[in-house]
Amino acid sequence: MNNRYAIEVVNLTKMYTPRGKPSVHALKGISFTVEPGAIFGLLGPNGAGKSTTIKILTTLTPPTSGRAVVNGFDCVHQPLETRRSLAVVLQQNAFELYLTVLGNLRTYARFHHIPRREADRRITEVLDQFGLYDERYTHAIDLSGGMRRRLQVAKAFLSGKPLIFLDEATTGLDPINRRTTLSAIREQASKGSTIVLTTHLLDEAEDLCDRLVIVDHGSIIAEGDLHDIKRLGVPAYTLNLIFRDVSPRTIQFLKAQNPLHFKHNATAAEITLQQSHQQILDVIGELDRDHDLVHFEVHTADLEDVFIDLLSRQKEEPV
Amino acid sequence: MKSIPAVVYREYLLRTTSLTWLFFDLFMPLIYLLIFGIGFDRALSEGIMMKGQLIPYNEFFLGGILAMTSFGIGMNTSYGFFMDRDNGIFYEHLTYPMTRGEFLIGKVLFNCVIATVAAIIALGLGSWILGISLSVAHLPLVFVGIIIGTAGWFFFLMIFALRIRRNDMYNTIINLLYFIMLFASSLFYPLDLLPSWLTTAALINPVTWQADFLRYFTIGVGDLPQIMLQSVYFLIFLAVSFYAGTVIIRKIA
Repeated sequence: MNNRYAIEVVNLTKMYTPRGKPSVHALKGISFTVEPGAIFGLLGPNGAGKSTTIKILTTLTPPTSGRAVVNGFDCVHQPLETRRSLAVVLQQNAFELYLTVLGNLRTYARFHHIPRREADRRITEVLDQFGLYDERYTHAIDLSGGMRRRLQVAKAFLSGKPLIFLDEATTGLDPINRRTTLSAIREQASKGSTIVLTTHLLDEAEDLCDRLVIVDHGSIIAEGDLHDIKRLGVPAYTLNLIFRDVSPRTIQFLKAQNPLHFKHNATAAEITLQQSHQQILDVIGELDRDHDLVHFEVHTADLEDVFIDLLSRQKEEPV
Repeated sequence: MKSIPAVVYREYLLRTTSLTWLFFDLFMPLIYLLIFGIGFDRALSEGIMMKGQLIPYNEFFLGGILAMTSFGIGMNTSYGFFMDRDNGIFYEHLTYPMTRGEFLIGKVLFNCVIATVAAIIALGLGSWILGISLSVAHLPLVFVGIIIGTAGWFFFLMIFALRIRRNDMYNTIINLLYFIMLFASSLFYPLDLLPSWLTTAALINPVTWQADFLRYFTIGVGDLPQIMLQSVYFLIFLAVSFYAGTVIIRKIA
């Protein structure tokens, strides 16, 4: 097996046939690779095939066809070896409800064959890292939703595995807990672990991921690093403008630029334009000359804009 | 095989968090024997006729109680499986570095230990309090019957926990199974006295196969060739249930 990649997916398909219902083609021959030590983002709308991909890579379900290799192990033919090399935070909550936080971590450590002394050291570490130390004797059933999610992520990081799957790991976390989790992900990656992240929070993917794949309806619609993905989207700029006064004439001028998005109040406007950078400079020049412009900021499209653009194009030209 | 102790440890931790659950598993058979057994023993003061022999009801009921122990523990574990699936930990277990076989063996091993302890309590205290004389030489076979029986019920009832998604549906079916399988069997009464349709139903019921085996090796009453044949049926039942359980586990995710 080729061990150059942490993950190698070749022509992977998955067909579900629910009883009494038509078959669902969840994956339609996707292929991608993930380098060891990378933070890899698997993005897509609901039902795109992200969780199915994670289920195949973690041996929860076999593919209908194609090949999935994790850390050099074939997910279908070497499921045990595959599982030995990874840890997972599944989309749904998963913990021992009636055990304490400590009990959950100890049980998890046993399942992952971590020697007791080493397990105690790592447990103390993740309890601190995820702010769970004060809750260590609390039963999981009594934890808040955010705390439960943190416990789940803490378990995966406790394992010390070279590959960690985080399926919507920060869903339901408040901003402070989310920041803690994101910094833990960065720290883990800096130690050499490969992280595979699925998320709906695109700012999170933009912030963390070295490489991204966007899937929709079971197919890859974009792949590459953040810059590659952004280049695939419509070249768009968002202008944040401050005026002495947003006059009807200014509004008329801005609307005449055919904006993708436009909103304003008495003194400020935000407009997204799909134009070349020279045209953008011309617009700003005119606003400065004729429309009492006081201040402006220009932003290129963020991942969310590109994501929405790619998906809407996909709807127009389905794969 | 390194993962089996981890599964047993997990089951142990979970059981010890609920003393009610542990109490039910360990002492319910004895309580059943002491209350239900004594009640019927007094009501049928002359005993009951089985294979031409008059036997005190307490003695007759002991083998049935041991079969009920296996069935009850299998049922509780099945419910545990259902809850694990419901709260998601079951799926996470399937991503742990162990085979599906190790996972199931760990679970069944723990349940067999619990069933054995419950049987020791029921046999020890039951025979002492009620004055039932046991065939000591056959006791190892009694424990074999309890262990094989618990494994069989565990795998059989696990199928329902893994296939049914709704809690109300699961509870209804399991309660219905409990009622039908225990009462349409030789657990509470000898088959000789039953109408033919109920006898037929009881004869194809694995509870009867296990209860007859345990009754024979506790008090020495029964038809040995038929019990041997029923033991083979039970082993087939165990193998089929195990196979079906593993297939479902592979497909469920």
